[in-house]
Amino acid sequence: MTAAIELTGITKRFPGVIANDNVNLTVKKGEIHAICGENGAGKSTLMKILYGMQSADEGTMKVYGDVVNFNTPNDAIDRGIGMVHQHFMLADQLTVLENIILGAEPTSGGVIKFKEAEAHLAQVAADYGLTIDPNDMVETLEVGERQRVEIIKVLYRGADILILDEPTAVLVPQEVEALFDNMRELKAAGSTIIFIDHKLDEVLEISDSITVLRHGKTVASMANDGVTAHDLAELMVGSELPTPDTAESTVTDTVALEVQGVTVKAEDGRDVVENINFSIHKGEILGIAGVEGNGQGELIDAIIGTTDVSAGSIDLHGVNITKMSVRKRRELGIGYVPEDRHHEGLMLDSPLWENAALGHQTQAPYGSRWLINRDGARNQTELIKEQFDVRTPNIDVSAHALSGGNQQKLIIGRELTSNPSLLIAAHPTRGIDVGAQAAVWEQIRTARAEGLATLLISADLDELIGLSDTIVVMLRGRLVARLAPEDVTPRDLGAYMTGAATQNTDEAA
Amino acid sequence: MSKFNELPAWLRWPIYALLGILLLTLVQIISDTDRLTRVSTSREMLRWAVPIFLAGLGGLFSERAGVVNIGLEGMVILGMWFGAWGSITYGPWIGLLIGIFGGALGGLLHAIATVTFNVDHIISGVAINILAPAITRYLSDEVWASPTTSPATSTPDRYDLPILGGGTVGGWESPDILQSVAQREWFFVSETAELLRGLTTNLHFVSIVSLLLVPFTSWLIWRTRFGLRLRISGENPNAGEAQGINIVFYKYVGVIISGGLAGLGGAFISTELSGLFQGGNSAGRGFIGLAALIFGNWRPGGVLFGALLFGYVFGLDLKDLDGTASHALLLVNTIVLAGVVVWALARKRISDAVLAGLLGLGAFYWWLSAEAVPGWWSNILPYVLVLLVLVFFAQRLRMPVALGQPYRKGGR
Repeated sequence: MTAAIELTGITKRFPGVIANDNVNLTVKKGEIHAICGENGAGKSTLMKILYGMQSADEGTMKVYGDVVNFNTPNDAIDRGIGMVHQHFMLADQLTVLENIILGAEPTSGGVIKFKEAEAHLAQVAADYGLTIDPNDMVETLEVGERQRVEIIKVLYRGADILILDEPTAVLVPQEVEALFDNMRELKAAGSTIIFIDHKLDEVLEISDSITVLRHGKTVASMANDGVTAHDLAELMVGSELPTPDTAESTVTDTVALEVQGVTVKAEDGRDVVENINFSIHKGEILGIAGVEGNGQGELIDAIIGTTDVSAGSIDLHGVNITKMSVRKRRELGIGYVPEDRHHEGLMLDSPLWENAALGHQTQAPYGSRWLINRDGARNQTELIKEQFDVRTPNIDVSAHALSGGNQQKLIIGRELTSNPSLLIAAHPTRGIDVGAQAAVWEQIRTARAEGLATLLISADLDELIGLSDTIVVMLRGRLVARLAPEDVTPRDLGAYMTGAATQNTDEAA
Repeated sequence: MSKFNELPAWLRWPIYALLGILLLTLVQIISDTDRLTRVSTSREMLRWAVPIFLAGLGGLFSERAGVVNIGLEGMVILGMWFGAWGSITYGPWIGLLIGIFGGALGGLLHAIATVTFNVDHIISGVAINILAPAITRYLSDEVWASPTTSPATSTPDRYDLPILGGGTVGGWESPDILQSVAQREWFFVSETAELLRGLTTNLHFVSIVSLLLVPFTSWLIWRTRFGLRLRISGENPNAGEAQGINIVFYKYVGVIISGGLAGLGGAFISTELSGLFQGGNSAGRGFIGLAALIFGNWRPGGVLFGALLFGYVFGLDLKDLDGTASHALLLVNTIVLAGVVVWALARKRISDAVLAGLLGLGAFYWWLSAEAVPGWWSNILPYVLVLLVLVFFAQRLRMPVALGQPYRKGGR
């Protein structure tokens, strides 16, 4: 039987980097084929080439045995290949139907035949066992539903080879299971699925075959038959699988951060954070679990000072910082690893050394109250580059030239080298590879041993359980559970996060 | 209230308009003017509103494609000059087409700058606003040997609508229903008919086209493939690109149509309103068009409503030499602001209610203490209206999500 996809000797060079170096990939028809590898291993580039978004410098691509040459995504779509992007490609203010038919609208004389489109959509949805209301506005949908829209969008155009780029990164465990059920249905209906994933247990659960990339090369391709996560991790990083487990407790009696009765109102007057109480001691990591959008972001904003609290108080080392400016708070020793490094963490078009000074520009060695100390900032950036293994040709390249993992290492380095007494880390290892992840965990652990208090927010529940000394769960703006990481599983956490399980709230407070 | 919001737009806007007319009628009872509901007022309103509407509708095409078009004013000016030149050289009809072409050239320039070269949209727009008067001045000097004015242009005919406005159809003179109603002195009904007569009689050709453009644009934007692709260019261009849509093409088309419509508005000014090209005759109507676009929430019906509202204020002022009609308008403002107070209180938005209350009290005090208002007041009133809309209703406004953002192919 001919393979659905056969890539041979694919090579893609970017200035200064070889993203794909003689990569081979064979995907059989009707299978679920996982592609794993660290960040920067070349997975995304390979998929972009397969989807016609970029063209390979060398190598051949075959689809069902025919040699193909894609210049645009349309060429790939014509061959039955569809891609579900990691960052959803949906327009919020358009309806589900409009989003789905976009680019393949059934028309007569330029007028869209909405009735026909809706019937076709209903047919596709029924064929693959997916449900969605075509007239909902996309902005009203949950993350899992949005992903379903993305998948239907691809199926609507008749794709039978689907590329899913890290589909589980944004989902809670229950949603992941729903996605996997959908993937099995698709497979049963005859589709071929290629999916990219970091999380090895998920790869092992769902895939039929696995291809591992490292440093742009194919290092292994195998059937999912007796393979263990341990084997895969070794293939990916060439070393042992790191775990986030913290050693013995370093929690002290000294309170670093005290949050009392904090309430934050949204613009429409609703309480997005409601009467939150907790304290973090020196040497403690407090983990906050929660589905995104349940007030974690606003809580962080309140602590760092970018939003006003409508009630409650925040004390740092006994000093009331509730009304302080962001700069004052940071000078008092709050380190901040923001959730979205592109929006809040970096100036993408500025050189690395300026980015390193960001947020610390008024403090040595980056500068003083009024002036930037160029030499000091540059030396410090070199130091971060060495200590935190930021892979870059020099510190004058702009931040967007770095891979996501290296950008993150720069941010973590910038925050930890400024000797904070409180670190707010929102998704510190999101979208970065196993090697960099282990390094970040190690850095946080070291700082914890030296007395750093950390507020950790993460969607990676293993990370949360492994690193935290205490875990609280946030749901609809409130703390609904307080758990000890030793005796909680990701499944339990997922249940609390979605409200399926509850705990006495008095206990949580 | 929520049921009212579920009504389709073509029903909601007329209801707003009728409420407005009712308010004007009531205010007129206790003031010394009858100009608020005169046919001449609504005729002037339409004459002012048409260029504002066309510029605003142009803005809609551009901004729905994600490109901020603050250069509308410049494009109106280009349309004025090219329209006048075309009309003098080739007659009124070709003149209008050449006016559209002139505005579209401005749009093309804006598209090249913002889409191809990723120039900041505001900077490019401002540049066009500076460039357009300079170019037309130069061209006037070259062609008509006068930098500021042209000879008289030729003007298209005017029309009365049949039945409603007593127009003639194939030699048959139809009845003029609105006029007979307007003469009856039925409370509110006659006032409404009188105001409507301004919209049905003695109409400019471009005015008729403008009114027809409202349903046409709605259909184009929401029912056709072109409209969907234009919208995705302004909502999430990278998503459109991933579906194989040529975003650059749609942005270009949107911005060029934008310029063409603004150009039509300009040609209307020079050929039908003033009968000649004269520098400065655009009177900022391109900018006010942009205000109408925001006021109208990026929807064709809303843009028309906004343009008529602003046109009303200007049109009222034009024949209001003693300032008494604008004075009566202060009372209208007071009542509307009182309505906003009630609306805000019902939504527990205290600060909005306080602000509207203070502004309303201010307007009321002014109305009590003065007999007439100076002319500058009606010149700034449209901008004041837009500011108030932005302050009180900003949360209900839905601008295209990717408006003003640079778009790079294969974006990151």
